[in-house]
Amino acid sequence: MELTSAIPGRLETINTFKDDGGSVAAVFPIHYPRALLRAFDILPVEVWGPPGVDPSQGASQLQPYICSLVHNMLAFLKTGGLKITDYLIVPHTCDSLQGFGSILIDFVSPRQPVIPIYIPRGRRDSDVDFFAAEFAAIYTRLQEITSRSPSDEEIMGCILREEQADMLLAKLHKQRDGLPFSDLQYYRFIRTREYLPAENFSQLAQETLSQAGESQRNSGIPIILSGIVPEPMSLFETITDLGGMVVADDLAGCGRRLYPTGKSEEPFQRMAESIIHAPPDPTRGNSLQERLDHLLNLQNISGAKGVVFYNIKFCEPELFDLPILRKGLREAGVPSIPIEVDVNDPFSQQTITRLEAFLETIE
Amino acid sequence: MKTIKKMRYNWEASVLGLMFQLNQKQKAKRRVKSGRNWKSEYLTPPLDIANKSKMLVARHILRGRHANERGKVAWVTSGAPAEFLKALGFYILYPENHAAICGTARVAEEISSEAENAGYSRDLCSYARTDIGSVLSGKTPIKTIPKPDILLVCTNICQTVLHWYRVLAHHFDVPLILIDAPFIYTEASDHSIEFIKRQIEEAIPLAEKIAGKSLDPQKFAEVINLSRDASMLWMQILDRCQHRPAPISAFDQFIQMAPIVEMRGEVETVDFYAEMLHEIDQRIAQGVGAVKNEKKRLLWDNLPIWYRLRYLAEFLGQHGIVIATSTYTNAWGELADLYDPEKPLESAARTYIYPMLNRGAGDKLAKMKRMIEDFHLDGVILHSDRSCKPYSIGQMDQRDRIIKDLEIPALLLEADHNDPRSYSEEQTTNRLESFVEGLGF
Repeated sequence: MELTSAIPGRLETINTFKDDGGSVAAVFPIHYPRALLRAFDILPVEVWGPPGVDPSQGASQLQPYICSLVHNMLAFLKTGGLKITDYLIVPHTCDSLQGFGSILIDFVSPRQPVIPIYIPRGRRDSDVDFFAAEFAAIYTRLQEITSRSPSDEEIMGCILREEQADMLLAKLHKQRDGLPFSDLQYYRFIRTREYLPAENFSQLAQETLSQAGESQRNSGIPIILSGIVPEPMSLFETITDLGGMVVADDLAGCGRRLYPTGKSEEPFQRMAESIIHAPPDPTRGNSLQERLDHLLNLQNISGAKGVVFYNIKFCEPELFDLPILRKGLREAGVPSIPIEVDVNDPFSQQTITRLEAFLETIE
Repeated sequence: MKTIKKMRYNWEASVLGLMFQLNQKQKAKRRVKSGRNWKSEYLTPPLDIANKSKMLVARHILRGRHANERGKVAWVTSGAPAEFLKALGFYILYPENHAAICGTARVAEEISSEAENAGYSRDLCSYARTDIGSVLSGKTPIKTIPKPDILLVCTNICQTVLHWYRVLAHHFDVPLILIDAPFIYTEASDHSIEFIKRQIEEAIPLAEKIAGKSLDPQKFAEVINLSRDASMLWMQILDRCQHRPAPISAFDQFIQMAPIVEMRGEVETVDFYAEMLHEIDQRIAQGVGAVKNEKKRLLWDNLPIWYRLRYLAEFLGQHGIVIATSTYTNAWGELADLYDPEKPLESAARTYIYPMLNRGAGDKLAKMKRMIEDFHLDGVILHSDRSCKPYSIGQMDQRDRIIKDLEIPALLLEADHNDPRSYSEEQTTNRLESFVEGLGF
């Protein structure tokens, strides 16, 4: 597909942004206030590992029972992969990322300022207020570092731009069936939201949506993909080769970040509302019933015949929920399968066979 | 019916508890008489007070058997601000303590297998697996545990507890109170402390509704006072181990910490630790140490390996090594000064945001360095605990810095606090032997 080949990559995007006078923050998973960073002319570029890094550099500071994503993040940083960035943003997503942030601040002491963000685990008013206050504290920190003081209006302008991009992202998810993409192309495309400036993403999204029509995808066995991140991305080729088709997702980096628009006119409060009321996510403390209802709703809308839980080894937030979610799905007549991976390993034949058997079962 | 239940409760909680205590005392006397006293060549017999702590724990467990009939029950994480629940009359159960009992009773593997058979991964915390396995199967070494009417989870020890308690909330279909404690990378912000205070304030009406009564401010202050007093006594006990020889070891502390975790806010707990402190002072006056021939002193970092306490104590004891202190047992005393009965909510917010596990790895390193100096230690064992990521991440740097900055040996020992399948005796012994050589024997 022509459009996806025209999309600029991470490095090109970073260089262009920096050439225009901006700076860049490496942002670790999952939730963070994009608009707040942009108000300081900082482009957030997300780091989900990445896979394919030599993880041995991380092994000197992290035990083997810490997940491969965190191992790779540390290895990537230590081998200079984040040299081009100016800030490191570490959301408090889980115990492992908490430890990662702490190691950065206390022992690695990178050149870039490390800015942690605590993500509240509830959806109460007190959580929204705390999150807004957390953003205010980050504002102060960035103000001290950059000597800039964006006004409320400027922040609100950035928020509206991000909300527009989020709205288009949600539309892409909704109309995925009518887009001229394979699963791999589709996820490559929507994952550009991890690094493209919102305005660039919105432009591309609008162009893409204008091409949407009746279902353009080859028929396949419809499934939902749930988990943290679809890495290695060859996963999608494998699913396609085996006759499957991803019709919806509950991925932390994708479907769980279809942020609704905040309601408040106060910028920090509005950003907090948006993240807190996003689709259910164990790292934000949603109940198991909320997660189950969400998955059943996705299945109902998409017509998926089964759910693939694609988990990274040692990921506690995902692993704790698995038995109850699978039981709930089973009781609703929706089969599921857990697949466990290490982002550094290629897809094993055993995994492929299990996926194949699952797809045959639900066909 | 009510009278029968009351009689049964009183029988189990008081009479059986007392009988248990008398039985323990008799057993101890018989051992002395028959010459089958303490078997260890290297370790001093346990404190006399040890019988009393067994009795306290046993009585608490016996009370729990009929707690559902007697009133309301709360399941609470070990670092949670449970004082308001205590003041409202809830029977409080700490699933982590129950899991540790399963670990010391060596049934954790069997019970956690029940959770694994239900789909819970072996990569999850072994306390959580033990607890969930017990809930699913009903298996427990203490016969029965009361069902919760409410769950209280505080994220100041890890995020794992929240995932674990979400599972419990789903299973029991009871309310889950969340006290979310923002992690302190450098310093606690005012908005973080305010956040905790507000959550406790908001939790009280729900707890009152379930308890069927209002929180009495005087009772609340009294419970906080008792918590503070017990924590202060506990801290004094631990500090007594700065003496040479150390009157008790960290292995003794691991066992004797049960009341400070499980029974904070009770008069008996304060009395118990006052008595324990007195006995420890007697040991110090007599020059008695936990290890008979103390030559070297170590720090233990992280949770204990519950199912191998005696083995490790003996192994180290035969080399004249005492583990004089640990970061883990310290965690239940170090915040005692922050409790303020005059300002219960504010002080609770401050107390419960500052536990060591809610602070950065650099802060723990600084604390370990202080302990090494204060307790005159010769080395450190860092238990790299597969089941406790927040406690273990950072240990590799901590070990390296201790070796480099303080020029003392430090060992990273791979194991799991409750699951013996992640522990290798052979490997542990080999590593400990090399470490002991490095201590300069």
